[in-house]
Amino acid sequence: MEAVAVKGLTYKYWPGGPLVLNGIDFNVSPGEIAAVTGLSGCGKSTLCLCVSGLINYNKGGVMTGELLVNGKDVRYLKTASLAREVGLVFQDPDTQLFSPTVEDEIAFAPENLCLPPGQIRERVDYLLDLLGIAALAEANPYNLSGGEKSLVALAAVLALDPQVLVIDEVMSPLDPDGKKRVASILDKLRAAGKSIIIVEHDLEAVAFADRLMVLNNGKSARFDRTEKVLADWDFLAAAGLIYDDEGLNNG
Amino acid sequence: MAFIELKQVSFFYPGKKEPVLNSVSHSFGKDGITAVVGPNGSGKTTLTKIMVGIVQPNSGEVFLDSLPLKKYSLAEIGRRIGYVFQNTSHQFFCATVAEEIGFGLKHLGKESEAVEEKVEFYLEYFELTAYRNVFPLRLSYGEKQRVAIAAVLANSPDYCILDEPTVGLDVYRKRLLENHLKKIVRLGSGLLIVSHDYNFVKRIADRVVRMENGQVQEGSG
Amino acid sequence: MKLDPRTKLVIIICITTLALIYNTPGRLLLLFALTIILILFFRINLAGIWSSLKKLLPLLLTLFLVQVIFLRSGTALVSVGSAPLITANGLAAGTSVMLRLGIVCFVAVLLTSSTNSRDFVLGLAQWKIPYEIAFMVSVTIRFLPVLREEMSNIITAVQLRGVELKKVPWREKIKLYCSLFFPLVYGTILKAQRLSLAMEARCFRIYPQRTYLRRLRLTCIDYVLMVVSVIATLIFINPDIWR
Repeated sequence: MEAVAVKGLTYKYWPGGPLVLNGIDFNVSPGEIAAVTGLSGCGKSTLCLCVSGLINYNKGGVMTGELLVNGKDVRYLKTASLAREVGLVFQDPDTQLFSPTVEDEIAFAPENLCLPPGQIRERVDYLLDLLGIAALAEANPYNLSGGEKSLVALAAVLALDPQVLVIDEVMSPLDPDGKKRVASILDKLRAAGKSIIIVEHDLEAVAFADRLMVLNNGKSARFDRTEKVLADWDFLAAAGLIYDDEGLNNG
Repeated sequence: MAFIELKQVSFFYPGKKEPVLNSVSHSFGKDGITAVVGPNGSGKTTLTKIMVGIVQPNSGEVFLDSLPLKKYSLAEIGRRIGYVFQNTSHQFFCATVAEEIGFGLKHLGKESEAVEEKVEFYLEYFELTAYRNVFPLRLSYGEKQRVAIAAVLANSPDYCILDEPTVGLDVYRKRLLENHLKKIVRLGSGLLIVSHDYNFVKRIADRVVRMENGQVQEGSG
Repeated sequence: MKLDPRTKLVIIICITTLALIYNTPGRLLLLFALTIILILFFRINLAGIWSSLKKLLPLLLTLFLVQVIFLRSGTALVSVGSAPLITANGLAAGTSVMLRLGIVCFVAVLLTSSTNSRDFVLGLAQWKIPYEIAFMVSVTIRFLPVLREEMSNIITAVQLRGVELKKVPWREKIKLYCSLFFPLVYGTILKAQRLSLAMEARCFRIYPQRTYLRRLRLTCIDYVLMVVSVIATLIFINPDIWR
């Protein structure tokens, strides 16, 4: 069974509004990393919200098509229950950190899932170590630097141990070390059979993904093996994702 | 000649042993583009906040145009140095994107037509026209970034400090930003950019300053 | 000394109760002295508290004056002609109000400055206070300073955009502050919505119960202090309780 199966997905934020997603087909298998890229406003973040079911919050929105996560239709699951299946790391770390300490932030999800304290402790310590933020355990997330916040936000979602992980542009505020660390963590998760959807502007940052989807105006312009897409310079240039000349042609 | 000069500036957060900045001395010229790079949490943002007087150093002194920074009011600093926060949500205070971009000019007593024209230009250049009447905090991360940059550049300050301006921008918008920044530098403004984006830094910076362990090391651009 | 947040809570409730019941300046003064002793006992920086409570002083003085001027019963201390201006009762009531508010403020600081919000929530939750309520308290404690900082951020941002706030004429200034108010409130609401989304995305309230990473343990000293405070309070309220 595919971990994420999307068929003919369309979405508009209000009836009669423009189609932000316009007939998306894609699937992610267990143990696979799929990257999504495209210019700002192409519908990447909306796709993240759809897959994680959080789009249900937007009451006026209209969704058609099929969207199954682990065989379950996200439209009919309560957000909190869905969160056990899909973890979403939002783009803006400031709007997803609310605990008084980093440790509490990471413990929040397993506490809600009623894990025994010993197990929570294990998970928190493991994640603090995995993301290299053990020194910040007692710090207030609000006072951290931009990159550190992103790592904490990622750790807090990983604490859910979801089967499917959706990451909305977490790489860009990270320094090269942080990027490498996150890439190797995702590698580990892939080896453990998790499915990962990673949204990113920077093509270099997604080169380790198995497959790459290029979104354009709510449509999938290309969805193929990453190395194939990245080798197709003509296509990437036409999609406005790379430049081979100096400076921008203003026409 | 140095435009902003730091003399043995140190800064530490209360209750922390390691200083964020450890006796940093460096002078920043007004010509060209300087990039500050370094790992997460190395004190880059703190450094820029001290340079515009939002954060006071624990010791040492900052000079702006050879005068101690303390002699200037925040508004006087703001008229000379444009500052784009890392978290751009912190710098919005208007009800619409257009007001945000025009705010500085309007309050400097510019004619409303001139303000209007400038606002139009920036809305169009950074492709924000569709959002002109939207509440800034409702925008996506990358859009907020563009509004923040436009709002600061619209004031045409002598010098600009941009903290991580490329986070959330796609390749195309990065190019737009790059071209515009190069243009204002040609017109005589100085720029300081804090960034992890090595490709962007490589393309745009005339000088690179590395921060590590609260110290500044000068490298070549 | 490290006390459980719940012990502190009990002590604080006792003192506040007494402050509300007592109405003579003498007793309130004693209670006030007790509060100060407690603050010193917990090694809290008294000067720090003073600087943050200083702003309340005008309010306290106004309340004092209102009581003194409008309460006309009792012996006249100062009279204008035949009309009493300041009476003994008025003076006593004014002093009481001032002391009462002072005690409540100091005691509140005692709680917030010596306990972090996570321990406080933990303590409440272990006392079977519904988690939602405890959590709301925690989020409030966590975000009040953030809100204050955000306000000062906005003021900084306005100035950095070249506006000399100190030199803006009063009328303009009020207009400016009013125009800043709406974005601040709207921004806060937006942020709250996004936070609740993020919380939901991490399984907030998925089950009726939840577990906790840490547990607070009440020590002997905690129990003794709680019992002593409650008994002492009861005796102070009604000394005849033993008969």
